[in-house]
Amino acid sequence: MIALKIPITPPRAALLLAVLALSSLTGCALQPPQAFEKGNLAKREMTFGADPLEDAFSQHVYFSKEAASGGTGVGGGGCGCN
Amino acid sequence: MAATDHDDIQPADARPRLGSITLAALALPGLLNVAHAESAPTDGVISVKLQSYDDRQPGLDRIRVIAPSLYVLAPVASNWALEASLVHDDISGASPRWHSAISGASHMSDHRTAGTARVTRYFDRVSVGVGGAFSEERDYRSRAASLDVRWSTPDNNTTLYLGAGLTRDDINPVNGVVENEHKRSNEFMIGVTQAWTKNDLVQLNVGHVAASGYFNDPYKLVDKRPRERDQTTVLARWNHHIEPLGVTIRSSYRFYRDTFGIRAHTATVEGVHPLGERFTLTPSLRYYTQGKADFYYDPVYDPVIGEPYPPGRPRLSSSDHRLSAFGAITVGAKIEWRIDSRWSADFKYERYEQRSNWRLGGNGSPGLARLSADILQIGFSRRF
Amino acid sequence: MDVEYAAGDDAEDHRFRFTAMASPCEVRLAGLPRALATAHAEIAIAEVRRVEHKYSRYRPDSIVSRINAAAGSGEAVEVDAETSQLLDFAAQLHALSEGRFDITSGVLRRAWDFRSARIPTPYALAEAVAQIGWPRVQRTPETVVLPDAGMEIDFGGFGKEYAADRAAALLERDGATSGIVNLGGDLRVLGPRPDGSAWSIGIQHPRAPERTIASIRLARGALATSGDYERFFEVNGKRYCHILNPATGWPVQGWQSISVVAPLCVAAGAMSTIALLHEDTAPAFLASQQVAWLGVDRDGDVIRHGLPA
Repeated sequence: MIALKIPITPPRAALLLAVLALSSLTGCALQPPQAFEKGNLAKREMTFGADPLEDAFSQHVYFSKEAASGGTGVGGGGCGCN
Repeated sequence: MAATDHDDIQPADARPRLGSITLAALALPGLLNVAHAESAPTDGVISVKLQSYDDRQPGLDRIRVIAPSLYVLAPVASNWALEASLVHDDISGASPRWHSAISGASHMSDHRTAGTARVTRYFDRVSVGVGGAFSEERDYRSRAASLDVRWSTPDNNTTLYLGAGLTRDDINPVNGVVENEHKRSNEFMIGVTQAWTKNDLVQLNVGHVAASGYFNDPYKLVDKRPRERDQTTVLARWNHHIEPLGVTIRSSYRFYRDTFGIRAHTATVEGVHPLGERFTLTPSLRYYTQGKADFYYDPVYDPVIGEPYPPGRPRLSSSDHRLSAFGAITVGAKIEWRIDSRWSADFKYERYEQRSNWRLGGNGSPGLARLSADILQIGFSRRF
Repeated sequence: MDVEYAAGDDAEDHRFRFTAMASPCEVRLAGLPRALATAHAEIAIAEVRRVEHKYSRYRPDSIVSRINAAAGSGEAVEVDAETSQLLDFAAQLHALSEGRFDITSGVLRRAWDFRSARIPTPYALAEAVAQIGWPRVQRTPETVVLPDAGMEIDFGGFGKEYAADRAAALLERDGATSGIVNLGGDLRVLGPRPDGSAWSIGIQHPRAPERTIASIRLARGALATSGDYERFFEVNGKRYCHILNPATGWPVQGWQSISVVAPLCVAAGAMSTIALLHEDTAPAFLASQQVAWLGVDRDGDVIRHGLPA
């Protein structure tokens, strides 16, 4: 892993996360699935936006604490959360 | 018995009767009138969730929010779905402070009620949804409407998404600094979801918001922001299932940029781990970093005047920490319990930490106290 | 996907051949250009494979294997809507056949080894028969439990026919109106040839594999055949075939084959099997089901009922 001489600041940790996430893709050829092998894709944990209440609350919390917002869809409406 | 052609009954005009086995077979689903790829959900859902948010800065408890919420999904006939949600926030605590010097906290308590509703119609490979949302607080009222279209390829491996929405807000701050101000925004988004392999699902969304109106924070002494804010987001997300472990890794990256001059990056990763037949544990990590707005100025607390004044007399200025440069990390874990085939429960805890020196590349805005928050959610859900 | 293409009778008649469920299969589509027919056929074949994989006894992760592996453990295995409905159908077939059609009777293959051509001992047979009993299977709309270790279910009795109907449903959904889905002789006709004439379907000769013994003209609907020649052995001039009576464990006698015409393949297949299980009372059973049928009796004579010459 990373030599301990380099302090792991959060920005560097984020970069490491991204590399780890991408590295799990190496070695698999991109092969679109046939209709009969879509069992895993249908699992709840593979769905984007499976828990709407959790997503809405998260987005609301971050909207009131940070400047950036959006990305997943349109039409959520605003609020006066300062 | 000689070979015989028992050319028997069944004249062409006889009324066909169906035997019991044929009738039983006709009752099997999916053999007649088969719907297309974009099909309506077959199960309805009702979920309730209690969410709480509790933040603080050093030496000062700031805001506490308790928010019960409800969500319903109801399939209607075979081609429609109805969704609705309602949330009520109870907000209490100190109004926002920005920096390490603390003046007296002014306590406040407020309520917010918000709801959404959406109707979706499913056609062959296409679905169209129309939705509305509202949010009501003492000093802020928001109304929104949206339209979305999803189109899937015949092999159902690619889905194209188009969304459009508009929001109209009415602002009436309780301190009367302004009256009947408005904010309007129009937004568009285009996205693609692709099944890359039998274990990989990826999505790319590009969105743009054009907003105009009142963006100032009326509760701050000096806060003058532009009357326009255009925002662009690019979001990429990826769900990857690891078959031998039964684990799913979900990751995302979002780039954000707006005409206030702010650029932000958000990266998240979480891992869904089944524990036995009924439980799932999902630890999660989020890193966020943003640069400051063009008109942001570092707050300098004046011991005589009190609230900070911007140097010089710029036309636009704000010391709102939300427009400053900082980084933030969220660490959390969620446990889900599938009680039986209809009921499930979930519990999630997250810890949010915001610090200016965590900004990517350094150069976070000085003079800002760190912010910590605890976010808790507990929910129940029933399929019907 | 290992699909072979062969041209049909004219430029717009296409035959897509593949192997599934250990049988030679074909999706035949007419009145379409080749590219469109290929796209339709791929969807249909993918659906056949989906059903095959989902209900296969040979895949350890299939729902059938998981149910069988949990036999005797008391664990309730959760099944989805499709599986639950198929189990409902199996229950109705058990009732409507007066117990002759029983999807737990597959355990008899432990006693009857058709490759070694040996008649099982009375002990081995009794042991297998003791594990049969659809009424003992415990079900709720979402779960199924096999109460005794050694019990098994399998969908071999209508799995192929169900796959044919599912493939046909998707082809109909996509607008194909002329063609045949044929999975090892159990077939579903989507609609007549483009010129409106019916398809001519040959019935396999029960004693001469390369020949047909009769033909049936079908413009729509399904045809399925059960016979004593698919898996069998002969000892002392007597034939022992794979269609076994669940109460006694012994193979049926009386017919060389029975073919049934019905609106759905899954119905035609169930009826042809149940008819063989009825042995001598097959004609009365088929009459009560209001279907047209063709049988080859033990002497090799062809009997047609309800079918034009």
